[in-house]
Amino acid sequence: MRAALLTSLGAAILAAGCIPVQIQAPDEPIEINLNVNIRQEVIVRLERDAADLLDQHSDLFGGATP
Amino acid sequence: MKRPLVLAGIVAVGLALTATLAMAQASDSVLAQARADGLVGEQADGYLGFVPGAAISADLRGRVDQNNIQRRQLYTRRASERSVSVNEMAAAVACEVFQRPLIAVGEKYRTENGQWRQRTAGAAIETPSFCAN
Repeated sequence: MRAALLTSLGAAILAAGCIPVQIQAPDEPIEINLNVNIRQEVIVRLERDAADLLDQHSDLFGGATP
Repeated sequence: MKRPLVLAGIVAVGLALTATLAMAQASDSVLAQARADGLVGEQADGYLGFVPGAAISADLRGRVDQNNIQRRQLYTRRASERSVSVNEMAAAVACEVFQRPLIAVGEKYRTENGQWRQRTAGAAIETPSFCAN
């Protein structure tokens, strides 16, 4: 009983091993971009926050110079 | 009975506050002078920087560092509120500093590329490319 189970299990594993697995290399090399780019759309979104910070903490930044 | 004690406490707090304000103001004027002298300047990254070749006293270095630490605290807090990176928040402030501008004529500033320039009356400030126009 046990032997039969093991045999069938082995067969199953063998069969699985026969399924061709195709790994296709991508046409273009994978690029990992580690640049911490400042995104302009984020800056635009933060414009008001930046202005707030400057107004509330003018002591930390230079005086107004028109 | 306890009145005079409370009064004394209020006076003490008032004095301490005045002293702190005076110190902060003194620090401001030292930094302002250093900026005017071209020893330090605003950078495109949102912080103050030391102009290369300038003789920086230990006192001045400490004040600049302190200022930058406080800036970073502000940036960090606001960045987490807006779910952006601290660098992005700092850059957004830098844009405001460069565009208002909070750089006086004669003061030096550091561009996005790391170059130091001096603001002159005639020429426009070189604003970082990531800023909105």
